[in-house]
Amino acid sequence: MILRRLVALLLLSAAPLVMADVPGVWAITGATVHPVSGAPIAGGTVVMRGGLIESVGANVAIPADATVIDATGAHVYPGLIDAHTSLGFKAPKEKDAAEPTPADLAIRGVSIASDDADSRLADGVTTVVTAPSRGIFNGQPVVLNLGDGPVESRVVKSPAAQQISFNPRPSWTFPDSMMGVFAHIRQTFLDAAQHAAAREVYERTPAGLRRPDERADLDALGPAIRREVPVVFVVDSAEMVRRAVALAAELKVRPIIAGAREAYAIAPELKNVPVLVAVNWPKAPTDAADRAEQPLRIIRNRVLAPTTPAELAKAKATFALVSGSGKGAEFLPGIRKAIANGLSAEDALRATTLAPARIFGVERQLGSIERGKIANLVITDRPLFERDAKVTRVFVDGSEVRLPAEPKKSDANEATPIDGSWAVSVAAPQGSVALQITLKAEDGTLSGTYSGDRGSGAIRGGSIDGNAFEFTISVNAQEGAEATDWLFRGTLDGDAMRGTVSTNLGTFDFSGSRAR
Amino acid sequence: MTMRTLAVLVISAIAVTLGAQERTTLIRNATILTVTNGTIENGSVLIRGSKIAAVGKDLTTPAGANVIDATGMFVLPGIIDSHSHTAVEGGVNEVSLPNTGMVRIADAMTAHDISAYRQLSGGTTMALILHGSANAIGGESQIAKWKWGRPVSEWLVPDAPRTIKFALGENPKSANFRPPPGQPRQYPSTRMGVEEVVRKSFVDARDYLAAWDEYEAKRKRGEAVIPPRRDLLMETMAGILRGEVDVHAHGYRADELLMLLNLADEMGFTIRELQHVLEGYKIAPEIAKHGAGAGTFIDWWGYKAEAYDAIPYNVALMVRGNVLTSVNSDSDELARHLNHDAAKAMKYGGLTEDEALRLITINPAKQLRLDHRLGSIEAGKDADLAIWNGHPLSTYSRVEKTFIEGEIYFDRARDLERREQMRREKEELLKKEADAQKLEKKEKTDA
Repeated sequence: MILRRLVALLLLSAAPLVMADVPGVWAITGATVHPVSGAPIAGGTVVMRGGLIESVGANVAIPADATVIDATGAHVYPGLIDAHTSLGFKAPKEKDAAEPTPADLAIRGVSIASDDADSRLADGVTTVVTAPSRGIFNGQPVVLNLGDGPVESRVVKSPAAQQISFNPRPSWTFPDSMMGVFAHIRQTFLDAAQHAAAREVYERTPAGLRRPDERADLDALGPAIRREVPVVFVVDSAEMVRRAVALAAELKVRPIIAGAREAYAIAPELKNVPVLVAVNWPKAPTDAADRAEQPLRIIRNRVLAPTTPAELAKAKATFALVSGSGKGAEFLPGIRKAIANGLSAEDALRATTLAPARIFGVERQLGSIERGKIANLVITDRPLFERDAKVTRVFVDGSEVRLPAEPKKSDANEATPIDGSWAVSVAAPQGSVALQITLKAEDGTLSGTYSGDRGSGAIRGGSIDGNAFEFTISVNAQEGAEATDWLFRGTLDGDAMRGTVSTNLGTFDFSGSRAR
Repeated sequence: MTMRTLAVLVISAIAVTLGAQERTTLIRNATILTVTNGTIENGSVLIRGSKIAAVGKDLTTPAGANVIDATGMFVLPGIIDSHSHTAVEGGVNEVSLPNTGMVRIADAMTAHDISAYRQLSGGTTMALILHGSANAIGGESQIAKWKWGRPVSEWLVPDAPRTIKFALGENPKSANFRPPPGQPRQYPSTRMGVEEVVRKSFVDARDYLAAWDEYEAKRKRGEAVIPPRRDLLMETMAGILRGEVDVHAHGYRADELLMLLNLADEMGFTIRELQHVLEGYKIAPEIAKHGAGAGTFIDWWGYKAEAYDAIPYNVALMVRGNVLTSVNSDSDELARHLNHDAAKAMKYGGLTEDEALRLITINPAKQLRLDHRLGSIEAGKDADLAIWNGHPLSTYSRVEKTFIEGEIYFDRARDLERREQMRREKEELLKKEADAQKLEKKEKTDA
């Protein structure tokens, strides 16, 4: 015990954000308690003991050993669950770093910077589901509490699922097209089934048979094939959602759709498929003339995207609201936008607590304020999704996490890391194409100009989210030829950037460095 | 009116136009270009549900039929384009391997390629959507109808044969698809190599089938045996050998086209259609003998090394040589006016009007093995047709309405009407967006 205290003291001095290592006994009183599993309780009390919720209600006895928090006038919520993120995973520095495989457990690779965790906690997020976003098979996501303590102590469920993204590989590496990605996924599942059958035969009758290879990557798909764990398909447009749902039916796996920002038009089709809607809504070009030039379909999809959660609610679909890629800075603003576009605050709360808990099968531990559940709680000064609401205190596993003094607000005037001039080289089949690109980020929107042998002008449709960015330029492939669009999708890494360019001729790699 | 109700109205307007299932339409007083049974002046076409119910001179109007008076107009079967790359998302080429027969265009089809709608306005209703020509054996292609406004799953023709793209010549030997600097050029880099890739693929497929046969035999005898790998590429190759997958092979030069025909004979499969086949006039008897069709351009030449020996008389010479010939597009732009290219075959080589029309209707239907239900105006066939305001072989004619399976998917008058509606919708959406952004900015400054 003394040793424990000592360690705690050491931890306190080493990591000033840690307030307590051992969850104590707490009673939050006088607040409006939103249990999610039931109606809000005015002037309610929540008691936490040993990391769990001991009791909740209007007339709850306050234990003698409890530290009492008078939260009169405040609101108490279950900690929010951000059920689709890549928090704690960075793009690898080496260009030819190996892709994740189905055998990779996110819990083995996750490393969340304390700044990132703090900013999520400041938004009231106490739990994330995270996995790398790289590759086609992203590995197996983990349901992870944020907060203090070693990562092993914060795992709620691992593995939580398999995760698949439809990311083509660089040109001339199979699969380098979207249809190739489908073929690759199909073949991998066929191989997994064949491998399982081969092992079964071999284990029964090893004599006279060539033993099957060791294939951890294929074995790892077994639980998904047996429908014991779901498969998260990361897809955005309504058509990609449909393709993923059809593929899941073909593979006979249990799908979860993640992304789905433009699924508003097909909400009724998603009645029986859990959806994690990414609330980092599509960005409009900054320039009004660029906006007016876009086709109606693009504008309609962008403007109506934030109605997706409301449409899913109307269709009685099971859905959660998630931050998607990046650091999650747009989580609360994105949820507010969904509410402004027809989602009730009650449905929004459910979609960030109990609904994601159910989707990942952790509803007995998380997602509501009920006796016996994990004591992840958030106290706010006003109803959570109101614009000026502030998260004042956060408890994870029954321990209070100290919030950063002033949650970092993105300052519009502050230079963001992508701002400036870049020398970019596109590896096109006819040889590399050099471009000078000047970029400026503001509120997630990317504007700028480009010039080079293939023309010059303003970039269009630019957006940036964390380190991930995209923008489009018009390129004249040949003199006199009609200009075609090149869509750049890349990641920023200090003074370097790289990614892929989608063109009418195929998808090519690009890399860039900061121009001095 | 809110944006949302406007969108709903637009959608329901489309739904009403597209109409209920068993709707009856009578097009009358038109010149019917049946393609297979000559021309009927002052004729009528009766459409019931998705099918043509009757064609003739004196059809009575059934009760409740929607009657279209087409006086002075022409009815032509929907144009079929046997070489298209329209409506594919995420690349039409899987470039990475010499043989990518495991990929499927069907997985990547999108209902949002505006080119499909534009093609309807040129009377084109169906196409063979091919994998690109980056490799000797490309992916499975897809036959689809341009059912604009419907989910793409409804575009795919359900009982159409499976098809695959082969490619010969410059493209698959990487002359036009070069990897980035520093990365080795992909095999093959010669025409010999292309031939080897195709032959090797079929040798592998035979081995694959033999391995499965052996497995099944052992299993039946009750022996312990490990199942072979189920390989999607080999499954496709085996499908070709079994005659379940039709080969549509891109190629230009007579020598390499002959090479492929001979190779197919050697391996025991048939080339369904040679694509491009600009030197087909040199080997028409050989093509006809093999039983292959030819889908070509009428007057495109000189655009690459292997297109120098092209002549505009190619089509007529192949037709006269008993080759089942179609004129196709390989282009979103040309696919909108294939009638012009069909008409040129009358100038170059003197095809008759009917022969010219067959190049873009019944002939491609036969090449796609769908002529039992498409490609002509006949009772019992799919009601895929267009009403033209003049003879389709005239450059002055244009399409008024295009039907697929009895439903109108393009209507010139309605298109003109809807432009204003769409302009307004766009304006309102942009305004809504700008207002929301202003509000957000304001909230930020307030905070």
